Amino acid sequence: MPEATPVDRGTPILQLDQVVRSFGGVRAVDGCSFSIDRGSLTALIGPNGAGKSTVVNLVAGALKPDAGSIVYGGVDITGVVSHRIAGRGLIRTFQLSREFARMTVLENLVVVARGQSGESLFNALLRPRLCRREDRVLVERAIDVLDRFGLAAQRDMYAGDLSGGQKRLVELARAVMSEPELLILDEPMAGVNPALIDLLGGHIESLCRNGITVVMVEHNLEIVERICDHVVVMALGRTLATGVMSDLRSNSEVVRAYLGERLDEPTVR
Amino acid sequence: MSPILVYLATLVVYFFIYNIFGFGLNIQFGYAGILDFAFITFMAVGGYLYGAAALPHETPGSQIYYVLGLSWSFPLALLLGILGAGAVGALVGLIALKRLRSDYLAIVTLASGTLIYGVIGNFTRLFDGWEGLMGVPQPFTGALNLNANTFVLFFVLVSGVIMAILWFFANRLYRSPLGRAMRAVREDIDVAEAYGKNAFKLRMTAMVIGCIYAGIGGALTIAFITALAPAGWSTGETFVIWALLLIGGRGNNLGAVVGSFLVAVLFTEATRYLPAIGGNPNLIPDLRNIVIGVLLIVTLRFRPQGLVPEPKTNFFAVPLTSRVLRRVRHEEVVGA
Repeated sequence: MPEATPVDRGTPILQLDQVVRSFGGVRAVDGCSFSIDRGSLTALIGPNGAGKSTVVNLVAGALKPDAGSIVYGGVDITGVVSHRIAGRGLIRTFQLSREFARMTVLENLVVVARGQSGESLFNALLRPRLCRREDRVLVERAIDVLDRFGLAAQRDMYAGDLSGGQKRLVELARAVMSEPELLILDEPMAGVNPALIDLLGGHIESLCRNGITVVMVEHNLEIVERICDHVVVMALGRTLATGVMSDLRSNSEVVRAYLGERLDEPTVR
Repeated sequence: MSPILVYLATLVVYFFIYNIFGFGLNIQFGYAGILDFAFITFMAVGGYLYGAAALPHETPGSQIYYVLGLSWSFPLALLLGILGAGAVGALVGLIALKRLRSDYLAIVTLASGTLIYGVIGNFTRLFDGWEGLMGVPQPFTGALNLNANTFVLFFVLVSGVIMAILWFFANRLYRSPLGRAMRAVREDIDVAEAYGKNAFKLRMTAMVIGCIYAGIGGALTIAFITALAPAGWSTGETFVIWALLLIGGRGNNLGAVVGSFLVAVLFTEATRYLPAIGGNPNLIPDLRNIVIGVLLIVTLRFRPQGLVPEPKTNFFAVPLTSRVLRRVRHEEVVGA
């Protein structure tokens, strides 16, 4: 099995080593190893059932691996619960938009900011001024983020009332608000129109330029080729190959497993 | 004193106590999304512990059994009720909130409530079993020289002040970052966890605070009516509190107040002394439950958010200096 080949720049921020996870008799992830470099924009691709989403869940702590190790920022986070992993700056989004529906767009952002002292019972009940002071800073930052994503006008709408595309943008804006070090996006482009794909792609690129390491699970190979500087290909729960998209196109194993006849014509959805 | 006045004052006390229950369940369900079907059990825990602490030591040979019997004053006995309800709430939370979600959680709370109901009913030595505690001394009557009527009026004040304080803190909790995080857990527990919120801790906090509210309501109930028996806190009573919150509007403490006025005062308590229809004493209580049930169905069908829905959070009550915000506001005004 090919070992992960790190790109030149940066040190690894995330390393998976022989990670295994079974559901009943199915080994959804079967000895998956790869590493992600700090500051990179990596795509995790592979056919349906390759185990991509399971890997995301394992890394983010939503599932516990049966074997193997996951190291994030030099610390072993194998089996650590998700809220603690998030607390260390590893944030993931979900395949379907999962906004906090009965909270406003602005609240969706403000609530995810990390390290709010008003989340302790004592401060919440007895130090309202401290809470308001912190909230004011957070609200201003949230409005700046929303503005960047073109959502400032929707700030007081319930997130559940937004259109599908807007929900995708809120998802990304919310992730930015939480100031991640490593952001894992699970199919951020699923079910959005081509114009919005470009917009989302641009946003994701700019996150990376601003120092956030991004891993995205994605089926749209055109956008992957355009914005990602590194690709990890998975099939049958294992890492099949890693590298840049143009090299992978000439890797016959990858082509057989995933790209197939679409080799010459990039997928446009 | 006119008996009408005393009766109305009694209704006001019930109203205030039901408000407290409404706030408590709202913190659990409206804020944190916990389906607590044992809410009334925590009211009973608070009530019994208050009663057992306020009562004098049990008289040998009286055939009335209970633990404690400490002749404690109102504040001390209330404190014990609060601690007891909070502790039992934490215990149920430990079982129900660690791994379970929505419907499973509801079943565990329901089972826990039934279990505690059976234990208290059958272990006569605890709180006199199915007979229940009675003769709990009414607080302040000696010190303030109150008679049966002036006590009722005085208790309007006591329960009113306590209710107001609890309302204030419930609202403050709602608006705080802690309340906001609880609502995020209510909306989507996985996403909240993925953003670093400790869902178990948040739900546990809501659970225990809600149970403390229930316990305070229970302590006030037994201090006011001087007795509490299992018949007064059957599962059906939890349903009344759920009905008042859903009809009034979950997520909104004002909704809990409107609901407790409609459901608990207007339909449940105020109909208690209506003359029996056609010589059938059960007809009015049965009709009452039918009316509440219909009201609940109609609400859920036509106004699922309740009569007074949860308000949108408005951050803009606080002055903001953001450049972007000024621009956005300007654009909205100018229409650019």
